[in-house]
Amino acid sequence: MDTTSQYRKRWSWDRVTWGTHCLNCLATCSYRVYSREGKVAFEEQGGTIGEIESGVPDFNPLGCQKGSAWSLQLDGEDRVTKPLRRVGERGSGKWEEITWDEALVEIADSIIDAIDEDGPESVVFEESVEGGLMAQSPFLRLASLIGAVTLDAQGLVNDLPIGQHITFGKFSCASTVDDSFHSEVLLLWHANPAYTSIPYFHYISEARYRGAKVVSIAPDYNASCVNADMYVPVKPGSDAALALSICQVLLQEGKEDQDFVKSQTDLPLLVRSDNLRFLRERDLVKGGSEEHFYFWDKTAGVIEVPRSTLDLGEIDPELHGPFKVTLADNSEIEVITVLDLIEKRLLDYTPDLASAICGVSPETIKELALIIAGNKTKIIEGFNAPKYFHGDLMERSMCLLLALTGNWGKPGTGIQGLALAGLDGYLLFSMKTKQGVEETARLLDGIDASMEQLRQRDPEATDEMLGNQLLTLSTSAGTSAPPVFFNYNHVGYKESWNNAAWQEPTMTKSFSSYMEDALRRGWWGGVARPSAGMAPRVFFTVGTNPMRRARGGKRAILETLWPKLEKIVAVDIRMSSTALYADIVLPAAMQYERVNVQYPITHTLHLAFSDKAVEPKGEARTEWEIFSALANKISERSVERDIVEFTDGRRQSRRLDTVGDSYTIGGAFPNDESVIDEWIRDSSDAGTLPPGTSVETLRSKGTIRFTGLGVFAPGLSVATDVKKDKVLTAFQWHVDKKLPFPTLTKRAQFYIDHPWFMDADEALPRHKDNPKMGGDYPFVLTSGHSRWTVHAVSMGNSAVLSTHRGQPLVVMGAKDALELNIGEGTKVKVFNDHGSFVAMVKVAPRVRPNQLIIYNGFEPHMFEGWNGSNEVEPGMVKWLHLVGKYGHLRYLPFGWQPVPSDRSVSVGIMPVPDSQGIEESS
Amino acid sequence: MTTTEEKSVSELHGQVAMVFDLNKCMGCQTCSIACKVLWTGEQGEEHQWWMTTNTQPGLGTPKGWEDMGGGIKNGVLQPGHQPTRAEFGGGWDFNYNEVFYGGKGREVHLQPTDKGDGTTRWGMNWDEDQGAGEYPNSYYFYLPRLCNHCTNPVCVSACPSGAMYKRSEDGAVLRDEEICQGARFCMEACPYKKIYFNYARDVAQHCILCFPRLEVGVAPACARQCPGRLVFVGLKDDKNSPIYKLVNEWKVALPLHPEFGTEPNIYYIPPLSPYRLNEDMSIDEETPRIPPEYLESLFGEGVHGALDTLKSELANVRSGGTSELLETLIVYKWLDLFGPFTTDPSSLDRSPDSQAVTLGPTRR
Repeated sequence: MDTTSQYRKRWSWDRVTWGTHCLNCLATCSYRVYSREGKVAFEEQGGTIGEIESGVPDFNPLGCQKGSAWSLQLDGEDRVTKPLRRVGERGSGKWEEITWDEALVEIADSIIDAIDEDGPESVVFEESVEGGLMAQSPFLRLASLIGAVTLDAQGLVNDLPIGQHITFGKFSCASTVDDSFHSEVLLLWHANPAYTSIPYFHYISEARYRGAKVVSIAPDYNASCVNADMYVPVKPGSDAALALSICQVLLQEGKEDQDFVKSQTDLPLLVRSDNLRFLRERDLVKGGSEEHFYFWDKTAGVIEVPRSTLDLGEIDPELHGPFKVTLADNSEIEVITVLDLIEKRLLDYTPDLASAICGVSPETIKELALIIAGNKTKIIEGFNAPKYFHGDLMERSMCLLLALTGNWGKPGTGIQGLALAGLDGYLLFSMKTKQGVEETARLLDGIDASMEQLRQRDPEATDEMLGNQLLTLSTSAGTSAPPVFFNYNHVGYKESWNNAAWQEPTMTKSFSSYMEDALRRGWWGGVARPSAGMAPRVFFTVGTNPMRRARGGKRAILETLWPKLEKIVAVDIRMSSTALYADIVLPAAMQYERVNVQYPITHTLHLAFSDKAVEPKGEARTEWEIFSALANKISERSVERDIVEFTDGRRQSRRLDTVGDSYTIGGAFPNDESVIDEWIRDSSDAGTLPPGTSVETLRSKGTIRFTGLGVFAPGLSVATDVKKDKVLTAFQWHVDKKLPFPTLTKRAQFYIDHPWFMDADEALPRHKDNPKMGGDYPFVLTSGHSRWTVHAVSMGNSAVLSTHRGQPLVVMGAKDALELNIGEGTKVKVFNDHGSFVAMVKVAPRVRPNQLIIYNGFEPHMFEGWNGSNEVEPGMVKWLHLVGKYGHLRYLPFGWQPVPSDRSVSVGIMPVPDSQGIEESS
Repeated sequence: MTTTEEKSVSELHGQVAMVFDLNKCMGCQTCSIACKVLWTGEQGEEHQWWMTTNTQPGLGTPKGWEDMGGGIKNGVLQPGHQPTRAEFGGGWDFNYNEVFYGGKGREVHLQPTDKGDGTTRWGMNWDEDQGAGEYPNSYYFYLPRLCNHCTNPVCVSACPSGAMYKRSEDGAVLRDEEICQGARFCMEACPYKKIYFNYARDVAQHCILCFPRLEVGVAPACARQCPGRLVFVGLKDDKNSPIYKLVNEWKVALPLHPEFGTEPNIYYIPPLSPYRLNEDMSIDEETPRIPPEYLESLFGEGVHGALDTLKSELANVRSGGTSELLETLIVYKWLDLFGPFTTDPSSLDRSPDSQAVTLGPTRR
């Protein structure tokens, strides 16, 4: 064959299917997968995602280099293709291949032993956001059937914009990505979308060509600064000072949007001057409510804040006090407003004072205020801020900036992180006892009835608030538990968290004292599981990778958790660092070898489908197959061993011999496709997908646009209607329909008068220096997601590995490198009091002095001694996040809870002796 | 289904050109990967990246290519260096088996296997995001590169065996690998150093402009897969195409290293950059962050006018005006990027033994 024909032949196929990559990037890219003779040959974006709104660019092609190289991973060298059992020490790399049946018997027996001897809460699963809904749903289902504990994914990964939660009572507030096209100012803040939002990045460049100013605020001149108009270098961890200073300028210049502030926020609420708590009804009326608050109306004086609406009607609240009010006991006190307090606080953040903290020049701060005031401004935020110890303060300050300038609820505004859309059928599925639409109708009616019941108790509540209440109720029966307690009691974090040198200096007592106090007050009643006395025995990871992810590194895990565990089971597509330390590794099928749907999110407002193009490699199975087989095996062995009844952690009697049957509802859901089809049909019934949608619709179209965000809490918290021909803009219910926020005050709340917050002087947003986590060292190690991999998933992709150096890299500034005599490409050791790791250094003038960067994703087993970069992260959590039962500060699955921080830990760096330089590259 | 007959190669006649808008490029390498997965997955091709994106300033790939000579001056081919395997680097093997199953535990860790030939010390994107300047006035940008399919292809002139040719249908510069003797003069002659050597088959290889796709109306993979939506494809002389306007009318799209003399057909819209900062961190709106002389060294003198045009058009829209140029660069409809090459590949019948796949036009 001549050369041209040979190349033509390379671009040939005999089958085309749809595919997406269900990873924790949560991107909803839609690929065409081209197969030839039973093997995937290559993939390419489908390019079928049209624009929502006319005059706004379409979504195509979506995708990134990881997705476009996915097919190479099917035969990747890191692939696991057979069940493996450890035959040496954990982590020794000594394995034997076993049959599926051998593996299942061994695991089932371990589970039965644990349940029989200690109870089902000694069986612990890490919740996963990796692998799509069909990876998550199966093990959650088994966990639920046996009463096990599942560790809330949010407390593991920490993608929780916790400052947004404190402010808005929710964190799931993102618009569709094309909404950026309507922005006049885009602030890339705690975000590096050129690395982390590759499929959507084009909207930033397109908005710029339309006239938007793009401002990147970051410590280092990162890849997203390259195409910005303005780069604002900020000291790591000082963003609150910058945001508050811009607020100070805006207020000083009288540029605040008063109507917006009055309608949307707690800034006009009255606060008692004597004790600095909100003025509450119980102050004015004997036996009055804790949760009713007051304005000072220009004509009527003190007047209750409406709780069911943000529409002020005739009320015109004063923004500034002081005023006198008479209390229930007839004493007279002075009250001021939240804004009075804010203005006082902002005196600490004049441009000159703030500049000394954040390093941004006073002129730039003033210019930013000018740019933002009166312009539709959107903050494009990743999940970076919440990974700072004081990320909550940063986000609260950033939200204040948006509040003062009227920047949410309108196209082109808001704060863009992530929002979960509702795939209602998925959520309904766990409640189903029968297949089919009648059961769906029954469940939907039941939800309506529960909502109605809750509404009668709280007639002023919005659907969104009722949805949250319903979710809270369901946690008392669910498996989900915030991992902070597991980590404290069973993984050995107690010591780090009580280390005063690494903790926040304004804490008045030890972390343990706060923890005990919070538990004693019942703030975490029912979810602090497994309890301190219940040692975990069986531990499952399904696509999760604590050895790489866990802030705290492997030490705490290996020294404290691992010895307690009788059985560690890793279900994965690849040999992760965690799999290397497991007892049994079970091979999972990858995308293209199975059907799956990506997590529903609002970024593109569509659900992306992934079809089965080829057979799974080796003996790999889908999670549905694995966990239904395990459920059957548990039942079978329970009968054989005559251990059929047990009592769960909530003192309910349960049976093991029916687990297998319940899992598939008597065989009604024999395989993955039957499950997905049910989700899709039920979502269609519930109104989140168009009428008549089924898995066949997805098979032919690849994607389908949501018609609603659902009846459950996550979708409702976006607080907006899905319109057929308009970009999705979050918070329109609050701004247009004047529906209140799900917070204590029913408004965007900047003042948190909880005693712990007041003691910490964090009732209002402020700046606090990053604690010296890890010790007193001259550098801070910032991190963030890399361009090259979603977590570690693409770390075994031969092509993607070649687009970096194929090995861990620490990036440092040119001046620092010169001073420390560290040469480009040499080996360095990064260390602190917690641990150390060795990696190659890349010297780049873009990095700020005293900053080091190591991007996420390198597996510990890519480092010498398997000491990954998480060895220097103590994994500190902020004690204030243990607060509960204060309005909106209470546990919600995937929401409010203490989350580990890792940004800007203190480290030192030194050359590793005898290391060979790799020549100067620049 | 679109039949391949509808858009057969015989209908094409002209030079296919591409414009990369560097102000939209985020350096994500999807173009490089798209090409890699489609074209260079066979033995001997491990280290080949016909499409690469590098950080500028930098040494790029192969390492230091801009100083390796080649090209043509006053009608005379210039001597050039033949890039070595080590200068390309990459194509690494890793010790997976040893780490996962070797029973050595933490004594070994996963890393590229050093075969002593220097290939683990460089790669296609080794100096990613290093750039130049001094913090906070560091500067860099991304430069995607493929074969320029030059109007004056010195590789063709240099080939001693007559294996190389430039097609009239689309202007693609191709090589008949059955004739290629592996002499590698093309690698020396090419000033862009975009030709690789296949050590397994003893032939040179380079970007084929995705001719099998162009032939059936499909845009090249690097362009069609680019998530940044920054690659325009079209016929160079089509006066209605964005390419023609960007190159010839607005003069904002420029060839890379025009002084190499080969008349490239890949063009670039040069990068703007954020304001510089003064010593006291206040903003300096006057001095460009990327030194203009550096950009001139890449794109020639035309770069200054191109940047001035972009800046004034931006200022214009920011003060409420409209700009046809910027509207064109926004690209509201993704398919508008691709000129006549808008066919959806999934709609084609490309089974390995179908006519379209096996029966191509003869060469030349």
